[in-house]
Amino acid sequence: MNVKRGLWLFAIAILLGSLSHTAAVASVDLSSGIRYVSDTGSLSDCSAKAKAALETYLPGATESSPGSGEWFAMGQNIATGASSSGATVRCYPLAKGYVVTFICAVQLPANPFGAHALCLNIAHKFYGGAITPLAAMPTASPVPTGCATTNLVGSWVSDNDSKRTFTMQLNGDLTDNDGVSGNWIIDGSTVNLTYYGNHTLKLSPDGKHLSGAGYNLTRKC
Amino acid sequence: MTRISRCRVALLAAGLIAAFGSLSTRAPAALDMNVGVSKVVQNQPVSACNSSAKTALNAVLQNAVQLGVDTGEWLAFGAPDSANGSTAAAAIHCYPLAAAYLVTFTCAAQVPPSPDSAAALCTKLTAAFDSGAR
Repeated sequence: MNVKRGLWLFAIAILLGSLSHTAAVASVDLSSGIRYVSDTGSLSDCSAKAKAALETYLPGATESSPGSGEWFAMGQNIATGASSSGATVRCYPLAKGYVVTFICAVQLPANPFGAHALCLNIAHKFYGGAITPLAAMPTASPVPTGCATTNLVGSWVSDNDSKRTFTMQLNGDLTDNDGVSGNWIIDGSTVNLTYYGNHTLKLSPDGKHLSGAGYNLTRKC
Repeated sequence: MTRISRCRVALLAAGLIAAFGSLSTRAPAALDMNVGVSKVVQNQPVSACNSSAKTALNAVLQNAVQLGVDTGEWLAFGAPDSANGSTAAAAIHCYPLAAAYLVTFTCAAQVPPSPDSAAALCTKLTAAFDSGAR
């Protein structure tokens, strides 16, 4: 019977922990179908315009093989440090002129704009047309130094146990002095801490103290 | 503390560690995109390309659709999972040439959770296309 109770505790702990994992709702968005036929110009003309159009929105366009007319570039969400957008522009020679196609992919919601919006702007940059401003890509915030009170980045020490410390990082990760990991999110002065369960804490007006759910932490400067 | 209580605490701690340990091992999801092969298939009409493109996309992904009527541009997405939307997508384009056709493959995947990289996805599609084109 006691063993059964213990196993139940084990199972409940697993369940609670699993529930605290936030599911990342994300997906790939692909846009295809924009094409343009030019009655004039060579493959190299198309390639030059393809590279320029791509690099207006994505850095470092490269040709898949020299002279192929297939151009490709990827964009990075600097805040997450991962690629979140990409596009390929393919040029094909015709008897007179060339045909060019545009395919774009983005990862949502990490990317602030959709694949079609990206492709439309690259295409319009290529052959002319209305350019719609794309939502700005998040930029990396400089890591605060000293006691920045606008977020939780930095080191914290427990008021109850000075050996218990927490390091909170810009990407929302936290690690305690034993190496146990968790996460933090701040909304106004309300802090949601995922660390052995989910806890709601309050950040003091001066930004130096966190308290709630049995935790009392002070920011180390 | 009794031996039974210590056992319970140990099991609870083990459960918490098992549940939260993975928090520190999550890799950030990234978009992966691949410009697959483009090739000319001689002595075949573009309708054969369209047929193979649809078959290949439905074999590897699902619900292949042609963008517009007789455009030769095919698109499909992977089955969405419960936590995410589709994490893989691909386009196959067929262009008619004189007594031949040109086919191109473009793939995108969100890795993780997609088990296939974009390059692997394009390789699968190319193989499926070739087997359907025979």
